[in-house]
Amino acid sequence: MHPALWVSKTGLSAQDTNMSTISNNLANVNTTGFKRDRAVFQDLLYQIDRQPGGLNTQNSELPSGLQLGTGVRIVGTTKQFSQGNLEVTEQPLDLAVNGRGFMQILLPDGQIAYTRDGQFQLNADGDIVNPDGYTLEPNINVPEDATNVTIGKDGTVSAVTNDQAAPVNLGEITLVDFINPQGLQAIGNNLYKATNASGDPAEGEPGIGGLGTLEQGMVEASNVEVVEELVNMITTQRAYEMNSKVVSATDQMLQFITNNIG
Amino acid sequence: MDKALYIGMSGAKQNMLSQQAHANNLANVSTTGFKRDFAQARSMPVFGEHHPTRAYAMAERPGTDLSAGALMDTGRKLDVAVEGDGWLAVQNQQGEEVFTRSGSMQIDVNGLMRLSSGEMVMGNGGPVALPPFDNVQVGADGTISVVPVGGPPDQLVEVDRLKLVNPPREALEKGEDGFIRRKAGEALDGPEPPDANMRVASGFLESSNVNAVEEMISNLQLSRQYEMQVKIMTTANENSEASARLLQNL
Repeated sequence: MHPALWVSKTGLSAQDTNMSTISNNLANVNTTGFKRDRAVFQDLLYQIDRQPGGLNTQNSELPSGLQLGTGVRIVGTTKQFSQGNLEVTEQPLDLAVNGRGFMQILLPDGQIAYTRDGQFQLNADGDIVNPDGYTLEPNINVPEDATNVTIGKDGTVSAVTNDQAAPVNLGEITLVDFINPQGLQAIGNNLYKATNASGDPAEGEPGIGGLGTLEQGMVEASNVEVVEELVNMITTQRAYEMNSKVVSATDQMLQFITNNIG
Repeated sequence: MDKALYIGMSGAKQNMLSQQAHANNLANVSTTGFKRDFAQARSMPVFGEHHPTRAYAMAERPGTDLSAGALMDTGRKLDVAVEGDGWLAVQNQQGEEVFTRSGSMQIDVNGLMRLSSGEMVMGNGGPVALPPFDNVQVGADGTISVVPVGGPPDQLVEVDRLKLVNPPREALEKGEDGFIRRKAGEALDGPEPPDANMRVASGFLESSNVNAVEEMISNLQLSRQYEMQVKIMTTANENSEASARLLQNL
């Protein structure tokens, strides 16, 4: 069958995947701590139909051959870990990381996941938990009679209890960093898991050793730029239409030959 | 048998091959750093023990359009676009040095700088490896500097320099993997020497240099040409039918 059909089909499916990526970015324009994805395109292998330098006659070579490309693919998506805007919420348990680093969340199965989404609350036991109810790691327990929970830039959590004037230290929130954050696996719910590509987590105190500081009363907004995504959406849509035009033109050629020959 | 039938058939077949070349260009309209392929037809007369009346058409790729695509602003520090002529040198899985203009780079677990597709980016003396850093900058001449982990933010340490090469255009061709390399006849004895005058822009990527409209028009034009070839084939068929009828009436 006509080879251009298969080539354009790869173009259509790559633009399709790109559109899914863009729509997911746009859908998460208000998701706290969300990092936008970018699809990475790459051309597929080339087939050598005729080697350059083939003999035209006994003593003359053809200057060029015929190498035909077979289309395009999406190698993968990369997360862009640029800083989102910090929005002031005035909630004492809202945290934003200003700089590099991830907060750690203990999943129910005992594994650790990583997040930039710092909308924390207390559960019935007084533990600091994320919106899904998973506890922060290291676990910080706020006693029932505590008021004015303060979280310092270095992660120190303290609170004033009713019977004491001086604040009590409740624990330290640590951050982790990865040598290649783009290698983290996004598992949804604003959480990431470490992979071989991301490397092992390096834990440290916020504000030291390249880690960002913790900002209380703020959350980090999504880093999706709406205008950029819309422009990408338009170019993707048009590229898709043009590739589908090639498919229909090719189809008409095949139709023409079946109608006229035979 | 009328020889026009064969000429029409081979013309239609070569049209399809040219269309594949244009379809591939169009499929790669969003591929960063992609360089479009030319397609042309060459006339191939048949010489032999007869009068040379027959010329077949043959599709071929005379070369690749190495002109630059538009720069897209991404704002990412490890996205690098080459300004003007020249290429980034990268090392593929086979250990061979190839050239590209698609400079979206990442740092892997071992600190090696790689393209998104996994090829190692070359520096002054082999692949670029970075120490753990808080911040990284790629300068206009390809110099890579980092703020080491825990270091003061105003102290950039120069680590390496991207290997930027500028071989003559006529010595280059696109390989089967889509990367640019020197033609077999133009190979150097040693590695490609870096060019100190080249400039890169960090925070930008170069878009594909495919003109989508042009590729679409080429494809439609080839479709119509194909239909003309098919018409020749049907005419040849009608001619042979007509001569068969004449013979029946003898």
